[in-house]
Amino acid sequence: MTSLLQRVKSKMAIFAHRKARGMLDGEYGSVFRGRSLDFDDLRAYIPGDDVRDIDWKASARFGSPLTKRYVAVRRQTVLLIADTGRGMAAESRDGETKNDIAVMAFGVVGYLAHRHGDVVGLVCGDRNGTRSIPAKAGEPHLERLLREVDASTSLDSGPSRIEDQLEYVARNVKGRFLLFVVSDEHAAGPGTEQLLRRLRAQHEVLWLTIRDAVLAGEGLTGQDAFSVPDSSMLPAHLAASPAIAAAYVKAAGERDAARHAMLRRAGITQGHVAGSSAVMTELFALLERHRRAG
Amino acid sequence: MELMFWWLIAPALVIAALAGWRAFRPDRHANARRRPVANADRLTALPEYQAALRRHRRWLAVSALAAVTLLVSAVAAAARPVELTTIAPEQHNRDIMLCLDTSGSMSSADSAVVQVFAQLAKEFDGERIGLTVFDSSAVQVFPLTDDYAYVQEQLTLAKDAFEGNSGSAGFLDGTWNGRGSSLIGDGLASCVNGFPDTAATDARSAEAGTSHTGNADTGQRRSRSIVMATDNYLSGDPIFTLEQAAALAKGREVTVYALNPGDFDYGPGAGQPGARLRTAAEASGGKYYRLDSPEAVADIVRSVQESEATAMKGAPQAVVSDRPELPLTLAVLSGLVLAGASWRLRP
Repeated sequence: MTSLLQRVKSKMAIFAHRKARGMLDGEYGSVFRGRSLDFDDLRAYIPGDDVRDIDWKASARFGSPLTKRYVAVRRQTVLLIADTGRGMAAESRDGETKNDIAVMAFGVVGYLAHRHGDVVGLVCGDRNGTRSIPAKAGEPHLERLLREVDASTSLDSGPSRIEDQLEYVARNVKGRFLLFVVSDEHAAGPGTEQLLRRLRAQHEVLWLTIRDAVLAGEGLTGQDAFSVPDSSMLPAHLAASPAIAAAYVKAAGERDAARHAMLRRAGITQGHVAGSSAVMTELFALLERHRRAG
Repeated sequence: MELMFWWLIAPALVIAALAGWRAFRPDRHANARRRPVANADRLTALPEYQAALRRHRRWLAVSALAAVTLLVSAVAAAARPVELTTIAPEQHNRDIMLCLDTSGSMSSADSAVVQVFAQLAKEFDGERIGLTVFDSSAVQVFPLTDDYAYVQEQLTLAKDAFEGNSGSAGFLDGTWNGRGSSLIGDGLASCVNGFPDTAATDARSAEAGTSHTGNADTGQRRSRSIVMATDNYLSGDPIFTLEQAAALAKGREVTVYALNPGDFDYGPGAGQPGARLRTAAEASGGKYYRLDSPEAVADIVRSVQESEATAMKGAPQAVVSDRPELPLTLAVLSGLVLAGASWRLRP
């Protein structure tokens, strides 16, 4: 079995080839590197660095942009929050297993954190139970986390319920962490919103939504589907009817809007991704949005 | 209503049970061909989808019902539903020879007899009828035939002749060639000879090596009866006496029904003409009727007809008739419903 982290790194390399290398690092660093008042040194500006950190006077003297670096107050702890229920073993919008996309996203974020010397922990589980792996540094640890997520997600797992994992974090995690939540298109509810507000008060939260497979209307394959939680069949030809497709598009739009509104009200930066090829771009955009918001 | 192949139901039930078990056993790999999707309530919570699903399920139920009906009715049809009835088939293979004494005193009775038979011939179906008239010699007016139109025509002519209507003078020609008058024995013997060869003579000719393949009567027994109207007043010297002719009739299995319009016997003596006629008729297994008025002829002839018909009733037979109409109609209808439902259910 090839290393999951290796796969993530190769994807990142491809991305870095397309964008400027280090851009993602810059984004991460400007977001998560703890900012203190203790000036460390100057270094050349790399795209992605916060514009506010540019030392304009030094740059003017030097002739090219220089960025101020500060001594980090503390090392960040990134807590990956994973849903390993059987809902994540279902198909994503692009036809991949949602779990693969989640592992990719966790790998990218974890590796960025690792490169900045941050420690990474994991909280994962399903309706039947939630477990956690304490935060540590190092690539082997990150690989272990990714494997844990990858191996415990299957169609035989318990039903998905991301709220359980969030509640676990709210109850058990002390201190200010960076939470990186990967979930799917679950419905917005007042209980969830309450919980998110509670978490946002303590932590910084990034939320990545993996788009679920289209069930009706455009983009529907002729293949029958089955609902993961209860194995009930969804005949494709029923969903193909134009009336149902129209109603579905409307309902799906409302559902997405409600989820976005909930996350926005809770002050959580969010992004959504349909396939693993879009993970890098979307994470970059997510970090960018978070920096601007922050 | 019974089922001829009722045992077919048992294997049909077994096969149906096997098929049902195969169809309804939980298939753990059923979802292998389907794609797993999460948050299906995005679709299943839609009222439109629920309505479509209900419609779909309703059509499924209809097609399941139609399939079951089709199978049940097909099995029922395959089991051959039959109706068992017992019938006594009436046979129409009778030969009737009318044997009429045309001496002057008999004309009213003769005309009544031919009139009645002219009526009866309309209802005949398979019976053959012949007419022989005799006085001092016998003339076969027409042989045994089932050409009922011809029979009626001839009987009408005979009736005209007996009633003495104009234009019918020649009808009775040839009946006075013998010596004397009312040679009843000869007349009866002629009538008996008017029947085709009996089985006995068939057997004899078969022994002699001659074939009778052309004989339409081969292989089919037909009852033979003579309706004879005479007063049995003999004047002359017949070749056959009445008793000899009666014996001849008996030998040929011919039943003689005698109608006597002039039974004026003096006392119960056996030598009286009426009594002799009665003896001759009953010797052949027939009956003797005293005829008081020509109007009574119709009733008598009908009673003769009925007794003959009763005698000729075949043995009761069990008739098995297939009745597949109901199950087959049901099968066709449910097949149509099934076709419609599957068309509706096509993906």
